[in-house]
Amino acid sequence: MRAEPFACTWLDTRQDRTDKVVLTANADHWNKERGPRLEKIVFHNDISPAEALNLVCDTEGEVDIVTEISPADIERVESSEHARLHAIDAMRIILGLVNRGVEDAPLDDARTRRALNMAVDRDRLVREGFGGYAYPAAGVTPPYAIGGLSDLQPYPHDPEGAKKLFREAGWPDGRALRLATLADLAGVAEMFAEDLRDALGIEVELTIIPNEELLAAQHALVEKVMPLPFDVLVFAWIDLTSDAPAAFMHGELYGETGPFRAGPPVEKFENLMGEFATEVDAGRQGELSAEIDRFVYDEALSVFLAYPQALYAVNKHVNFVGYATTFELAETEVKEEHWSRRNGS
Amino acid sequence: MTSQVSPQVAAGQEGRTPVGTVHVVDPHPLNWLYITWNTMEEPVRTDERGHMVGAVLEDSRWTGERTLEIDVRRGIRFQDGEECTAHNFKRAFEEMQRWKAPHPPGSNLNIHQDTTIEIVDDYKLLIHFPEPDGLVLGKMRGMHIPSTRFWEEIGFGYRKLGTGEGHW
Repeated sequence: MRAEPFACTWLDTRQDRTDKVVLTANADHWNKERGPRLEKIVFHNDISPAEALNLVCDTEGEVDIVTEISPADIERVESSEHARLHAIDAMRIILGLVNRGVEDAPLDDARTRRALNMAVDRDRLVREGFGGYAYPAAGVTPPYAIGGLSDLQPYPHDPEGAKKLFREAGWPDGRALRLATLADLAGVAEMFAEDLRDALGIEVELTIIPNEELLAAQHALVEKVMPLPFDVLVFAWIDLTSDAPAAFMHGELYGETGPFRAGPPVEKFENLMGEFATEVDAGRQGELSAEIDRFVYDEALSVFLAYPQALYAVNKHVNFVGYATTFELAETEVKEEHWSRRNGS
Repeated sequence: MTSQVSPQVAAGQEGRTPVGTVHVVDPHPLNWLYITWNTMEEPVRTDERGHMVGAVLEDSRWTGERTLEIDVRRGIRFQDGEECTAHNFKRAFEEMQRWKAPHPPGSNLNIHQDTTIEIVDDYKLLIHFPEPDGLVLGKMRGMHIPSTRFWEEIGFGYRKLGTGEGHW
């Protein structure tokens, strides 16, 4: 991805799903120890998440696994007769993308960005926003990632220190902070906005981007042709492995060719990423990944909020095996008491 | 670099018989990718913690800054019975390289357009890069290796739709 509009190859993946996708076991697969252990998996795309939650909690034989359980529904699952909650340490982060390119506020000043980080009460966010099923974020790399580990601690919740730093950086009097987010992160953004108002004494204008405007907003962020209409965007991102987080997390969020970079490229970051991308020694690559994470933390290139766990509601007779970076079911199996084995389905 | 991908040893042939059915509702926007990972071979996959383990790629080693030697696992058969060899690996790589942005998650997963594959034998190949690419094994998490029939009849949509961009 590059800033020039005609060099950008943005891809739409939003396509209608078929009502059902049925996977049948390939019993001839080479890795027999891994699986498949199930004879058949049926993905239902014609059932809404809300309906699916009711079915997995209240019935047997209708829905066995529902992914992406909201923290608001945790109690519903935990009190269910038929379902169990599975929480997986996932390679996911929720952060505030800071638009370092705004002209009328000092978001290009690291002191401002550190102040935003120090304004956040992450313990409250984890407790009230995620029902406890998340970790306070310190940098981009989760502490359970395999590669690029560091000893970073979350920025302290220090409202007084944040306010002092914010003033030193010269935030204009009366200038409201423009916070934006997507609908599914509205609750997190509202808590973040409260923290900013309380700690910094500023107005925060929160915009929830409606789902019907999501694609246009994604284009604007990725293409970087027009000025971005936010100061901070509460945003969720993932990784495809946990071996070298800088490759897919930091590179996408801050790199010159990163689709989610908000603000000009950062020279030192580019130099570190250049060395990281051409390093073929795994040990040195891990060191560089950690160094990159420390750099973005020290510079507070984002407001690091939380590493949410991936939550699943699973029928109690299913031995579910969850993954940090994917949703694969090769090792998942069902007990003898499961409806499909009782019925011979 | 080899140490970044742990070998995954195929177990004996005794494996258990698949049994039972589960019904799943997965509203995640990457469901299309999860379906792909559940059904297709890749050079590498990840274990539960996200660590890369070898799949079609049984082992690999850098023989220089710009050449990666790959051992293709023996004994892999696709669902249609075709044996998976270095030729399937090369075909999948070259099909992917046709597109400017084959991966919806981002073009940072792209492999340099001037990269080439040299087949040594049915189970060994060399990837020659125009410049060192220390991230290539991770990028291969987004490379799917199907049978010849897949490319001839479906091809990630472009047999029907005329383009592969966005259909991975």
